[in-house]
Amino acid sequence: MLSGLRLQRLPSAHPGIALGARVAAIFLALLLASIVLEISGAAPLELGIQVISATFGSTYGIEDLCLLLIPLLMTGLAVAVGQQIGAWNIGAEGQFYAGAFSATAIGLFVPGPEILILPLMFIAGAVGGMIWILVPTLARAYAGVNELITTLLLNFVAALMVYYVSTGPWRDRVGMSNSATPRVKAEIPEFWGLVHWGLPLGVLMAIGFALVLSYSKWGYEVRLSGSNPSAAKYAGIPVRRHIITVMLLSGMVAGIAGMFEIAGTVHRLQGGISNNFGYLGIMVAVLARNSCVGVIFSAALMALILNAGIILQTQGLTTSAVLAITGLILFLTAIGDELAHYRITRIKI
Amino acid sequence: MIDLRTLSRRGFLNMSAAGAAALALPAGLFRAGTASAATLPAVAEEDAVIGFGHVGPITDEGWTWSHHQGLLAVKEAFPKLKKVIEVENVPYSADATRTYRQFVSEGANMIFDTSSTGDFLHEVVKRAPEVAFMECDGHQVMDNLGWYYLAHWYPTYVIGVAAGHLSKTGKLGYVASFPVASVFCSTNAFLMGARSVNPAATLQTIAINSWFDPQAATQAGTALIDNGCDFLFGIMDEAGYLQVAEQRGVWAAMWNTDIRRYGPNSYVSSVIIDFKKFYVDQVGKRLAGTWSPSETLLQMGSGVDRDVWGAKVPADVAKAADAVRDKIVGGWSPFTGEIKDSTGTVRIAKDQKMTDTELYTWDWSVEGVSGLTS
Repeated sequence: MLSGLRLQRLPSAHPGIALGARVAAIFLALLLASIVLEISGAAPLELGIQVISATFGSTYGIEDLCLLLIPLLMTGLAVAVGQQIGAWNIGAEGQFYAGAFSATAIGLFVPGPEILILPLMFIAGAVGGMIWILVPTLARAYAGVNELITTLLLNFVAALMVYYVSTGPWRDRVGMSNSATPRVKAEIPEFWGLVHWGLPLGVLMAIGFALVLSYSKWGYEVRLSGSNPSAAKYAGIPVRRHIITVMLLSGMVAGIAGMFEIAGTVHRLQGGISNNFGYLGIMVAVLARNSCVGVIFSAALMALILNAGIILQTQGLTTSAVLAITGLILFLTAIGDELAHYRITRIKI
Repeated sequence: MIDLRTLSRRGFLNMSAAGAAALALPAGLFRAGTASAATLPAVAEEDAVIGFGHVGPITDEGWTWSHHQGLLAVKEAFPKLKKVIEVENVPYSADATRTYRQFVSEGANMIFDTSSTGDFLHEVVKRAPEVAFMECDGHQVMDNLGWYYLAHWYPTYVIGVAAGHLSKTGKLGYVASFPVASVFCSTNAFLMGARSVNPAATLQTIAINSWFDPQAATQAGTALIDNGCDFLFGIMDEAGYLQVAEQRGVWAAMWNTDIRRYGPNSYVSSVIIDFKKFYVDQVGKRLAGTWSPSETLLQMGSGVDRDVWGAKVPADVAKAADAVRDKIVGGWSPFTGEIKDSTGTVRIAKDQKMTDTELYTWDWSVEGVSGLTS
């Protein structure tokens, strides 16, 4: 008589169910958005077709998608890498700025041929990102200070630092209506259309991290330290050293993202160059469930959504409506992901 | 809301009455199309797509609102246009490139970037040779790219004269966006106007790194008043610091439109702008196939002017400032040497008159302006 339905949480979702939940979430979000659009007098189906054809039906669309994908992939990867050892790097935004800043410094003030300057900028970007996460890393490793707060607060410092140099000492003297530095001459060569080599490099980096984390002793120790630090310590794993290495690597990836943006897409350092990529990276990593390879796909989804936002704006939707739809999709996807972990069981007592 | 057309017409009449000595070019044409640029073929009105990208929301009652009025005027003049695309809040980032590329994908024949996005726009310009681009406050001309802006320094000087009369402390405050040419020019013209009345006047500037950030503008206005400023001016797209001035009982002058209702007692005037005629003219040329990239500075009286004086501005002050305005419309330039920069070095020699190009690309502060790093 006493039989009921219970929800049971599984430690990991069945891949098929997870995928189904995600598709359902996106579908539901689009459906909700369509209803709202229909009520406000727009034609949702036509808009949808417009977005798909504008994105995939032209070289322009695919180029734009890839250019958005590069920084999202990198910042998402940065956050996902930190998560391997249980560190929340909320500071990818700041490390992105620091990387862009350091790369610009090399690009503007070090003379030399492009073939030399580009690798130097790459290293500068990587080191810049690492320096920016160094203090939170040491504070976490030696004093147990929560990296969530420290990395977050340093974002504002980095953003203001970039604002200061790009509107002050490094400002381009030739009149522009918004301040930026002069153009950095060294540019990452294009790989397809407007898309630069940052894309294949980023994808390789994501796969590389995934392989090392899955198949090396170091990767095993890192994952163990992340999931159960006390057990790892007991097993003789140098947890503190791994925390330092992994967090610095996380900062490095975000710094390289900043370098890519300077040398590949924007070419001038300016306030707001990060375009919130650092924060969006957190979303990308969460959607990928911190899988380094998964980041490639969730970054692509995010790029598609952001690009759709721009297309919808030219169709007369206001920025706020586009933002609301974007938020709705992400919100429902996150819920769908969580729900995929549950199964309904019948319990007999 | 004041009728801009009346104002423009009056300004225009003044100008023609004065023989338009210095302003001989029609409608403020600064430099005609480059000889090398071929014109783009004509487009039938029913097939034409025109695009506008704005820096802020069209409801800002300021800069973007004014450009939106221009768009409405275009729609009224060419009612059969296939499509007019308008995007608000285009950020100064790679997203601007994406937005303008999307305009091109939508088949735009002509695109107006109403707030210079520089390289982000130029990336698109280079790859879309069949599309005509016009960049407001731009500085570059290509085969299919021209720019337009306002000679805002003249009405700003006039408002500066009023500030010289109205300020008791001689300390003026300025809410700036970025240290860029239009801001250097605006602060300089304002203080030079004030110093023509009160040679001891100084101008303190705070840059808030935005054209539209009501909260930051309010904070900056408060800080300036706390420092003893009793006249605020600035280059914002909204009314933030006017409301502060009203609360604190000091004077304020604004940009873009008549927004005196946010501070009826403080309101002195505005650098008031009107792009309607210019936009209609440009779109007409593009449709007719006679468009070529030009460099246009709309002059005082035909696109930019001071607003009708505020209710509390004494009649004699208004009269004194308007006398200067008439002189400028008559061809006199207040931007004539000797002019020293903020370090005391003479930058413009005695009796040397600054050209429009020099004014448009001004990148140093005159003596008495503080807070802008050049």
